[in-house]
Amino acid sequence: MKMRVTRKEPQLAVAGAGVGDTAATAPVRRRRRMTLSVQRTLEGYFFVSPWVLGFIVFLAWPLFQSFFLSFHELQATSLSDLKFRGIDNYKEAFFIDARFLPRLRDTLQQNLLDVPVIMIFSLFSAILANQKIKGVMGFRAVFFLPLVIGSAQVIQQLFSQGVGGAVLSRGVNVQELAFQYLGPDAASGVEQLLNRLLFVLWKTGVQMLIFLAGLNSVSPVLYEAARVDGATDWDRFWKVTLPLLSPVILVNLVYTIVDSFTDTFNQVLQYIQQTAFAGGFRLGYAASLGWIYFAIVFIILATVVRVTNRYVFYAGERNS
Amino acid sequence: MAVVSQQWVQRRPVWLRDTQVFRRRAVTFIQRAFTYIVLIDIAFVFLVPIFYILATSLKTAQDLTDPTIVWIPSGFFWINYPLAFLAMNYPRSLSNSLWISLGSAFGQTVSCAFVGYGFARIRFPGRDLLFALVLFTFLVPPQTIIVPLFILYKNLGWINSYNPFIVPSFFGHGLKGALFVVVFRQFFKTQPWELEEAARIDGASAFATWWRIMLPMSTAAIVVVFLFSVVWHWNDFFEPFIYLNRMEHFTLPMRLSVLSPSLDQVTGGQAGDLFNEALVMAAVFLVILPPLAIYMFTQRFFVESIDRTGLVE
Repeated sequence: MKMRVTRKEPQLAVAGAGVGDTAATAPVRRRRRMTLSVQRTLEGYFFVSPWVLGFIVFLAWPLFQSFFLSFHELQATSLSDLKFRGIDNYKEAFFIDARFLPRLRDTLQQNLLDVPVIMIFSLFSAILANQKIKGVMGFRAVFFLPLVIGSAQVIQQLFSQGVGGAVLSRGVNVQELAFQYLGPDAASGVEQLLNRLLFVLWKTGVQMLIFLAGLNSVSPVLYEAARVDGATDWDRFWKVTLPLLSPVILVNLVYTIVDSFTDTFNQVLQYIQQTAFAGGFRLGYAASLGWIYFAIVFIILATVVRVTNRYVFYAGERNS
Repeated sequence: MAVVSQQWVQRRPVWLRDTQVFRRRAVTFIQRAFTYIVLIDIAFVFLVPIFYILATSLKTAQDLTDPTIVWIPSGFFWINYPLAFLAMNYPRSLSNSLWISLGSAFGQTVSCAFVGYGFARIRFPGRDLLFALVLFTFLVPPQTIIVPLFILYKNLGWINSYNPFIVPSFFGHGLKGALFVVVFRQFFKTQPWELEEAARIDGASAFATWWRIMLPMSTAAIVVVFLFSVVWHWNDFFEPFIYLNRMEHFTLPMRLSVLSPSLDQVTGGQAGDLFNEALVMAAVFLVILPPLAIYMFTQRFFVESIDRTGLVE
C-alpha cells in the first residue's frame, strides 16, 4: 500500500500541473501542488460524504438519542411526555427485572456454544468444498442454499415442526444412548446440542464463503514446498493452511459473533422489542436494555479480538 | 487354468503389479470416497428441509397424522398452494417484498460502490478513522437504535412505507450496509492502478474515473453485493415488523406469522378445517420460491464470487 502511494504521488503532481496550464511559473506551480492535495482531500470527502451523512442521521444521532432516552421514562403512547429517571432504568434491569438477566445469561451461554460450532463447521466444509474434485461446484451451490432461503420465519416454521434434531439423529436414539453412558447432565446437553445443531449449521453460509476466499488466496507454492519437505496433509493443514488463514479466522470470528448476537431469535433482542413495541411500550427502558446489551457485545468482541490477534499471523504483504 | 492366471499375472494393470502404486492409489481412492461421503452428508443437511417442505406441502390432513408417511404423500394434493396463495395475498405481499429488497439492494450497491471507492483509492486525512467508524457501524445491534429510529421515521411519516428501508440504503447504511462498503473497498483495492492513472492524466475527474472506468470493471463485486443485499432484505424480519404494521404492507415472510387469521378471513371462517402443517409448508415454499429461483440462475456468481471479488486480500 505504502509503496504504491509513494509511486503515485509524483506522477499525479505532474499530471495536475500539466492540466490546462500554459503559463505555469514556479510560485504558481507550488500553489497548484497545494491545491492538488487539497483537491484530493475534497475528492475523498466527496466520495465518503453520503456515508458520513447517513452515519450521522441513521446511526450516530439515534445512538446518542437512545443513550439519552435510557436515562428517561418515555411511553410510546405519549411521545412528548419525557421524564428523567437517572440510572433507575439500569438499576431496574439489573436488580428488579426478573426477566432480563436470565435471558441475557441464556443468550451468552448459547452463543458460547454456537460460535465455535459455526466456526469449525464452516472451516471444515470450506476445506471440503475447496478440494479439486469433480462436482465440487455443485456441492458449493448446495452449501450456499442457507444464505438464500435462511429466512428467520421459514426456519422457525420448520423447527416448530421438529425438523431439527430428528433429521440428524434419524434412527438412532442419541439421547437415550447419552443418558445411559454419560449420565443425565450430558444427555440434556446432547439433546440441546442436537436440536441446535441443524439450526446452527444453517447459519454458516457467509462464514464458509469467507473461508473459501481465504483458502483460495493461500499460494499453492507453499503447499508445494511443504510437500517437497515431506509434510503430510495433516502437517500442511496445521503448519501452512491454518497460520495463513488466521487473519481470515479473526474476520470470521468477528462476523460470527456479531451475527449471532444480532440474531432474530435472540431472547434478549426479542425482549427489548417486546418492551418497546409489543405490550410494554416503555421506550426509555428498552433503550437502556439495548445499551446494556450493546456494551456487553462490544466488550466481548474487544476481548476476543485482542486475545485472538496475538495468535494471528500476518504474512508480509497481506497486512495492508 | 495355470496358463490363464500366468497370462493375467503378466498383463494385470500397473496398480496391481506395483505395491507402492497400489498403496498410493488405494489411499487416494479412500480419501476421495471419504470426501464425497462427507460432502454428501453436509449437502443432505441443507437439502433435507427443502425436500421436507415440498413433501409436507402436498400432504392431506390424513397423511399428516399417518406415521408411515414421511417423505412420499399418498397423492398429489396441491390444493394447499392456491389456498396459501390467497391467504398470503400473494401478489400484494410479493410486490411489497420486491420493492423493499430490490430498492434497497439497488441503493446499497450504488452507494456502497461509491463510498467503498473513496475508502480504497483516495488518501485524505481522517480516512482511517472514518473507516474504523464503518466497522463500528457493523457492530451496533439494530435493536439498540431502533427506538430513536422509529420515532424519527414516525415524525417523517415513513411508517407503513418502504422509505425506512430504501432511504438509508442510498447512504450506504441499512441492513449490513457497512459490510458492503468493506466488500467494495477490498475489491477496489485489488484492482490495477494503470487504467485509473491514465484516466486521471487525461483529465478525468474523480467522479468520472469512478463512473466510467472503475464501475464498469467491477461487475463481479456489483453482482455479489446486489444478490446478497436482495437475499438479506428478502429474509429480513426484525425491521419490517417494526416499520410496517398494516397487513397490506407486509412482506412475504411476515405473512407466515399471520397465516391462520388471514386464511380465516379469505375462506370466511373455515380456517379451523383447512389450516394445518401442510398448508404452512405450502406457504413457506411460496415464500422461498422467488429467492430460490433467483439463486438457480445466479448461483454461478455466488459460487465464483470467491475468486472474483478478492474478498480476502
